[in-house]
Amino acid sequence: MNFKVTNKLTLANNTKRLDILAPAIAKKVKPGQFVSIVIGEGDERIPLTVIDQDLKKGTITIIFKEAGDSTKKLGELSINDDIQTILGPLGRPSTIEKVGRIVCITSGIGTAQILPICRALKNVGNKVVGIVGARTRRSMMVEAQMRLTCDKLFCTTEDGSYERKGVVTDVLTEVLERNEVNLIYCIGSAEMMEAVSQMSRDKKIKTIVHLNPIMVDCMGMCGSCRVKVDGKYVLGCIDGPEFDGHLVDFKDYKIRLNAFEETEEWRKHRLQPKTKTNETKTFKRFLSGILRN
Amino acid sequence: MQGCPLGINIPGFIRNLREGDVGRAYEVIREQNLFPSICGRVCSAPCEVSCILTDEGSPIGIRALERYCSDNGRSRSSRKDKIYRKGKKIAVVGSGPSGMSAAAQLAQKGYQVTIFESLDAPGGVLRYGIPEFRIPKKILDFEINEIRNLGVDIQTNFFIGQNASLEDLFEQGFVAVLLATGAGTPKFVDLPGSNLGGVYYGEEFLMRVNLIKSTLFSRTTPNFVLGQRIAVIGSGNTALDCARAAKRFGRDVTLIFRRTEDDMRTRRDERDFAKEEGVEFEPLVKPIEILADQNNFVDGLKCVRMDFAESSKDQWELARVPDSEFVLEADTVIIAVGHIPNFLKSMDANNQLNLSSDGTIEVDPKTSQTSIPKVFASGNVVTNAGPIVEAIAGGKQVAERMDRYLKR
Repeated sequence: MNFKVTNKLTLANNTKRLDILAPAIAKKVKPGQFVSIVIGEGDERIPLTVIDQDLKKGTITIIFKEAGDSTKKLGELSINDDIQTILGPLGRPSTIEKVGRIVCITSGIGTAQILPICRALKNVGNKVVGIVGARTRRSMMVEAQMRLTCDKLFCTTEDGSYERKGVVTDVLTEVLERNEVNLIYCIGSAEMMEAVSQMSRDKKIKTIVHLNPIMVDCMGMCGSCRVKVDGKYVLGCIDGPEFDGHLVDFKDYKIRLNAFEETEEWRKHRLQPKTKTNETKTFKRFLSGILRN
Repeated sequence: MQGCPLGINIPGFIRNLREGDVGRAYEVIREQNLFPSICGRVCSAPCEVSCILTDEGSPIGIRALERYCSDNGRSRSSRKDKIYRKGKKIAVVGSGPSGMSAAAQLAQKGYQVTIFESLDAPGGVLRYGIPEFRIPKKILDFEINEIRNLGVDIQTNFFIGQNASLEDLFEQGFVAVLLATGAGTPKFVDLPGSNLGGVYYGEEFLMRVNLIKSTLFSRTTPNFVLGQRIAVIGSGNTALDCARAAKRFGRDVTLIFRRTEDDMRTRRDERDFAKEEGVEFEPLVKPIEILADQNNFVDGLKCVRMDFAESSKDQWELARVPDSEFVLEADTVIIAVGHIPNFLKSMDANNQLNLSSDGTIEVDPKTSQTSIPKVFASGNVVTNAGPIVEAIAGGKQVAERMDRYLKR
């Protein structure tokens, strides 16, 4: 199996969209599921949500933000480049049921992740209200597709450069006051999801959050993506990525996300590997290093 | 000879070695064991325990002899062309030690075997769990190539349960399925602070280490957050592997465990290697809390000393020494205290697979069959924990049972 990039678009600053030829995955993938991508030999595995699939061409679409070394390398790929492996679909698909009026609330890169779920929810006959937040007008993405999918879409920007100024939770309060809402679907930063869960807990509305913990192998073998739900550690890659927002321990989730953000202090550790005796590397040791390879 | 779970003719191959015929010794081993070079490196060597010389001093170094044979006797038997088989189709899920040995045995019996592996290279725990210095990747690739030459088809990047279910496999024409998915999910411990930054589970750490591209320059720089003083909790082989792998990054490593050093579930020479490399051992210490700094990273490990105390009538039990709490300086903690079987529920959509309370598959002890007809299981997914040689022996056993079942 070889996976080829068939299309590439830059959606916003540092945010890119890739279409990748993967017919077997495109046939099987359901909304809410993700794939794990290895670009070349010895690279990290990157878990990314599948935004869309094209059965005729056999492609899947992914949207990602360039944050670390690996996603930067993925962003540097051009059309017709090969990707070593894509494993998927992984994770549980979203539960798509007809419940009535649903609020889909997102911010940042979550907007892309919620798009397939919105489409599926709309297709089974729900009324979908979308609330989309972004930092500026330029970082707003897939807005046109969201507008086509949702029955009503509210857009907010933090600096007020597009539609209304503010954050998504302000809009949610207004929507909850005016309408009866049966389900809230929420993807975004940990702070945003925590705030939304807090608001809906008071009104007793079922809330589903979509967590994106750090993963290593994406198959439930390392325990890196552990999240505390209902007082118990579960694996985000297998039991997730969807969880009941009222049960997730967001404090724990924030610590886990923070665990891989390198501070300056840590970077120093990484660049200066020291042995206990502090002896300098002699030419002989250097040579033995070469010969061992 | 009784000691070996695989039933290698140990006196036979040693006799050949004494006569100076390494190639024939290698062939004698390969009659029973298809991974001599891997067993020669990581086997827990139960044969040396049952060696008759153990009582009189030290046993014969059978493991070292096996390793010597596999490294030097290879040229005579290798370099065969790939065989194409035309028997009944059998699917093996998982390409770890157990799955591979079962696949090789079944292929030798004439079946058409396909291994499904979810990661991008076969080997399972041998590739992603055991670090390079214990099993070099070159040797592993050689062994896997031998199995490919037997006519086994290995499909990597294929996750049974997500890419295809068990029913799909039967629809594709497989007459039997062997589940050898292994036990690699870490057991989550109830230690306060185990969610902090800089806390890794042993499996995660080893997988991250094994995924680093090993070049001249990247070998000493990890691509993940790793502190200067590392504390490894655990007393098994995984803990020792973690400690030695961390030591290779040039860090100060302390190994903490609750038991005494003689009670460790590792071989003595492995411990000696670790000590020689500079891993500090702290026996009879129990961690009780991981301390956090203001950025929610590890700042130290609060421990308490343990010692033997008389509980009742000549019964000695480990108990806390009063007022012996101390803080061990550490900025990374690796927890390697055990594992549970890998996730299986996505495999059967109808919930037909009977699992016991700890997550292992329940099998018929006589036939190795699971609760689903035509589905077998072997390896650590059944036994939950055990040395690699037991998993290889289990795979060999289940292959014979599957053969008997299919010929019925």
